[in-house]
Amino acid sequence: MTGSVSRRRFLKLAGAGALGALLAACAPAKAPEPTQAPAGNQTVAAPAGSKKIVFSSYTWSGSEAAMRSILDVFMKQNANIQVEGQFVPSDYDAKVQTQIAAGTPPDVGIASYGNTVTYAKSGVLLSLSEYVSRDSFPIDKMQAAGVAQYRWNKGDFDTGAEGGDLWGLPSDAQGLIFAYNKKMFDDAGVKYPTDDWTWDDFVSAGKAITKADQNKWGCMSPDVGLISTRPWPVWSAGGEMHTADFTKSSLDQPEAIEGLKWMWDLIYTYKISPQPGAAAQTGPFQSGQVAMNIDGVWAIADYSNIKDFDWDIALLPKHPKTGKRTTDLESDGWWIYKDSKDHESAWTLLKFLSDAGGEKLFADANYVIPPNMPDVAKDWYAQKPPEHRSKALDNLVQDARKVDACYYENGTIVSAFLPVLQKAFADGTDIEAACKDAAKVMTDELTKARTKFSQ
Amino acid sequence: MSVQHAGLSRLRRTEAWTAWVFVAPVVLGIGIFQLYPTLFSLYVSLTDWNLLTPPRWVGLSNYVDLFTVDRFFYQTLINTATYALGTVLPGLALGMFFAVLLNRNIRGQQIYRAIYFVPVVAPAVALAILWAWLYDPNFGLINSVLRIVGIHGPPWLGSTHWAMPAVIIEAIWAGLGFNIVIFLAGLQGISREYYEAAAIDGANAAQQFGSITLPLLSPVTFFLLVTGVIGAWQDFTITYVMTGGGPAGATQLIVLYLYTQAFRNQHMGVASALAYTVFVVIVALTVLNFALSRKWVFYEEAV
Repeated sequence: MTGSVSRRRFLKLAGAGALGALLAACAPAKAPEPTQAPAGNQTVAAPAGSKKIVFSSYTWSGSEAAMRSILDVFMKQNANIQVEGQFVPSDYDAKVQTQIAAGTPPDVGIASYGNTVTYAKSGVLLSLSEYVSRDSFPIDKMQAAGVAQYRWNKGDFDTGAEGGDLWGLPSDAQGLIFAYNKKMFDDAGVKYPTDDWTWDDFVSAGKAITKADQNKWGCMSPDVGLISTRPWPVWSAGGEMHTADFTKSSLDQPEAIEGLKWMWDLIYTYKISPQPGAAAQTGPFQSGQVAMNIDGVWAIADYSNIKDFDWDIALLPKHPKTGKRTTDLESDGWWIYKDSKDHESAWTLLKFLSDAGGEKLFADANYVIPPNMPDVAKDWYAQKPPEHRSKALDNLVQDARKVDACYYENGTIVSAFLPVLQKAFADGTDIEAACKDAAKVMTDELTKARTKFSQ
Repeated sequence: MSVQHAGLSRLRRTEAWTAWVFVAPVVLGIGIFQLYPTLFSLYVSLTDWNLLTPPRWVGLSNYVDLFTVDRFFYQTLINTATYALGTVLPGLALGMFFAVLLNRNIRGQQIYRAIYFVPVVAPAVALAILWAWLYDPNFGLINSVLRIVGIHGPPWLGSTHWAMPAVIIEAIWAGLGFNIVIFLAGLQGISREYYEAAAIDGANAAQQFGSITLPLLSPVTFFLLVTGVIGAWQDFTITYVMTGGGPAGATQLIVLYLYTQAFRNQHMGVASALAYTVFVVIVALTVLNFALSRKWVFYEEAV
């Protein structure tokens, strides 16, 4: 009798204890612990009174190791600041936005420039203009188009205001490369691309190389899904995606239609490109399926693993009439979240990463992406492979524009009109009609976005 | 008498208190991590919220917009209904077929069952990636085999016409093991006596299947139908990994659309409204299933 009662009481107390422990664990309603990468990057024991800041970034192959080594260098030079690195392999924006909503954002984070207007407008970013002028940061040494992505004045629909408030610093300058498979050119007896190549030369070479029944193609038509960040055919033809005041889409204008139709013709008229769905998972260029491919400069790291054939890059082919070969200039960057508890230390880290010294560390770590400051970038572009890597820098310097994916709600707007274009590319239907339909959708969405902006 | 009463109710109170203490962790867990977010999501669906600034009350306009101005809502609903129909019904038929086959006492029966069940325990993401490779138009196994037979295979996940069938095939394959195992359990609950009696009466295999197996399996079929429909309407992983909703929205399912609205476009209110709309659809379909079940589900009464 006594035995069963005391066992019962023991179980009761154990249950209550478990409940108490559960409540204690749940009590401080904080955001969940951010995922820590396995190997700690704090090689130095934190001295007393040191400040701690959080650095957050998404990762891609090799970038995390390079980043950690650079953070280590920073901590050695700034012994009183400890940096905790949060490296997120996927869904970065979702994670950071959740952290912001919970009131525990990182201090310094990689910028998602497409959200600059939304973030700055919502007041979650720290304005850097004062810090830049106070510390005489050499902002004019950086590629202007990259800096423009992070300049924004209140009330602007897009970034790029001349001398506007600065909300982030660019970390790199990425343009497009025109890569070609030397072996496929040799086999077809076609001369390699030159600096004078036009769109017509591109097509002729493609026709000579294409052997559709052997699944060998002259080129891969540029992915229309990326038209918002890489509208180079539209731009080179003299067209735009939208009017400068963002009231209307310009996709229904003859120049834009010419650019898009050229992309479409590569597949369905000249037949030198496979259909979009027929690209190999490994990448059509790397697998030797296509002889010419236009991709971001970061593809160089991927292509460096190619063993089956020699390859090189050239300037983008120019438009036969306008002579333009306009690449977009895309700059990732770093910014500081306003809710950071230590703006000064965050700025110290930001300065370190972005100035010439920091950029050189990235270049030396064989970082996938070229640095922003042209002097440091020269060294990166002088490396091999490929033989003529510097052509990518030449194209950037010659003819580049700020990437057109920074304006308010650009994600929503693009995802609204893109399926219209994608269907024409996937099914081979009338591209001109698709451009006009897409323009209607885009204008509609722009109107909605501008209304939302002023609310 | 009153002393006995007081003693009894105190014992009951102590017992009740003890019961609550033991159940409390689960109740708290469900309350905090399921009930509260569900109710909060209902609130969010009535606001415009981008996670960065406080939510702004907009009433029912998210719901109204979904049904009137949203460009993708109806297409997504149709896609999801097609997907649900295409995976659940064939999944049931194939599951029953294989379960009947596996219900015989052949050698290696346990091994076969385990093999069929492997996709169920494998991570959904891994299976989706695996099939994406199988479907690769140039190097994938499926088109390679078709090439041997002389057929030029379609681009599968790259074609607006073939992407949905391709996704449906993968979904059926991934869920088949679960259906098989449950059907097997149901089959083994059918008494041998029925079959013996039928055989004596001269019934052939087809008649035995139609008159004995099917009706007595109907509760199991009903269970798998209801859970299959609910699961299909909620599916996210397969299209997220294999196609991202493409090409041109051909495989855009409603939960994937909800995710895009929430985490790509930062429209939390719209996403929550979508979630509640899916909830209403699933409830409606489940009620329909239960109502129809009276016609064809046969619950064996204990004799």
